[in-house]
Amino acid sequence: MIRMVLVRLALTIPILLGVSIVAFGLMRMLPGDFAEAAAGTTSVSAEVLATTRAQLGLDRPLWEQYGIWLKGVLTGDLGRSFATKRPVTTELLPRLAVTAELTLMAGLIAMIIGVATGLASARLRGRTDWLVRGWNSLLLAVPNFVVATLIVLVFGLYFPMIGIFNYVPFAKDPIGNIASLLLPALSLGLTVSVTISENTRAAVLEVSSQDYVMVARAKGLLARTILGNYLVRNALTPVITVTGLQLAALLGGSILIETIFTIPGMGQYLFDSVTRRDYPVIQAIVLVSSTIVLLTNVLVDIAYARVDARVSYE
Amino acid sequence: MLEVRDLTAEFIREGEVLRVVQRIGFDIAAGEAVGFVGESGSGKSVTARAVMRLAPEGSSIRWGGRILFKGQDLLALSEREMTDVRGRRIAMVFQDPMASLNPVMTVGQQIDDMLMRHMSLSGAQARKRTVELLGLVGIRDPEHRADDYPHQFSGGMRQRVLIAIAVSCEPDLLIADEPTTALDVTVQAQILRLLMRLRRELGMALMLITHDFGVIAGMVERVYVMNNGEIVESGAIDTLFAAPKHPYTQALLAAVPRIGTRRSA
Repeated sequence: MIRMVLVRLALTIPILLGVSIVAFGLMRMLPGDFAEAAAGTTSVSAEVLATTRAQLGLDRPLWEQYGIWLKGVLTGDLGRSFATKRPVTTELLPRLAVTAELTLMAGLIAMIIGVATGLASARLRGRTDWLVRGWNSLLLAVPNFVVATLIVLVFGLYFPMIGIFNYVPFAKDPIGNIASLLLPALSLGLTVSVTISENTRAAVLEVSSQDYVMVARAKGLLARTILGNYLVRNALTPVITVTGLQLAALLGGSILIETIFTIPGMGQYLFDSVTRRDYPVIQAIVLVSSTIVLLTNVLVDIAYARVDARVSYE
Repeated sequence: MLEVRDLTAEFIREGEVLRVVQRIGFDIAAGEAVGFVGESGSGKSVTARAVMRLAPEGSSIRWGGRILFKGQDLLALSEREMTDVRGRRIAMVFQDPMASLNPVMTVGQQIDDMLMRHMSLSGAQARKRTVELLGLVGIRDPEHRADDYPHQFSGGMRQRVLIAIAVSCEPDLLIADEPTTALDVTVQAQILRLLMRLRRELGMALMLITHDFGVIAGMVERVYVMNNGEIVESGAIDTLFAAPKHPYTQALLAAVPRIGTRRSA
């Protein structure tokens, strides 16, 4: 088990390296660079652009630029933002915290809604099953930015006392902060709840027809014991997998949702940085996001082994 | 102890009603061992489950008639009241030991939960009793094996665990539905001997369901032969073996191979 974790962690290093090279390459392929974006106009003299590029090191060969960046990362230095000249780490960390909070809340909401509706649909069947599956199809068909826009519209028009765009920093008012993130987290989590709900439903149906559930009933156990220890614990394994995989979807979705709800998170920061071609910031965000996704996958594997004793990584 | 009268079982699927047990009646006295023999689809398993009122998951089944257990009609009990009967007064062993244990709980936990439900034992008391029970059904080193998971046991050992679960609360009646069908021939004999021994030691009645006359020989005192949801013949096992009256019973008996006789063409 410990060996498995160490191997998996070691494997993330080449993956992260690959991701950073691809991201580096893709950005340089975009037309324009920071010097042009910062000048804001095309009528700048070539010398001015050249000076800016020389200052930022953009005049060096690509492999050298990548090498300098990588060397910095290995020593814990993510570089300085082209636009603000401040260290990327200082700028990124508070935004990362906001995005992490939003994503975690969305994930939690998705889990609660998904597991509850999936379980209800599989156990109660009939009309409930119909309702849940219809609702899921609807959510699946509608992208999360539309859901977010609808939420903004509905709450903005009919419940104006609930502030939609008033992001409250955590340090200022923790409860207000969580409250201000509830609606964005809901719009982000709803789409993901569909996947969790459908997977929970399928897993519970599968487990329900297993002989050991019949045996549990023959033992005279109470319905809640059977539900918890026999049905849910066995149905959990596939649900853990999809939930872990959905984290990437949540991180991606948060960019849109942060823009719609004007939340000062990593998503908006990334959007601005791409527009400005602020390479160090983009590189840092890609690195941090992929690290989070990879670490989650390792956590999912550990969770498997905790839930199901048959899983062995030897 | 158990008196079943006019028992019917009907599956209901999309408005259609399929009657699989046709107004049957039978008795099992306290401590008695009774066999139910018939081919698959004869209604013997559904009859066994009727006594436990267990419908297969996801199917809709309607029971009719009366199942009197110590004078109380089980069909008249609420589902909640029925859970006090299941496992405590009437217990059941199923056909497939490979699929009958919860893969994410240790074997010990699966006996503990039943003891804690019915015998109001504390966790520690239940564990002590669980280890005793595992020893009783012939599992070596029960203190350590109780913490193993089902996948660490062979088929025969799992059936022993399931028998330990079934007898844990010392029920009045043990229903064994094809308990040896999924096992190796050598293991089959061991499991049957174990069931016989436990019945004697705990004074339980036994309802043994099988398609194989060979299994019940020497195990039970009386036999009911079932075909198409009806009981076609019943009687003491020796009489039935010596002189089967119903053609279906004769056919079933002829299907058991005997050493020294040539199969007729």
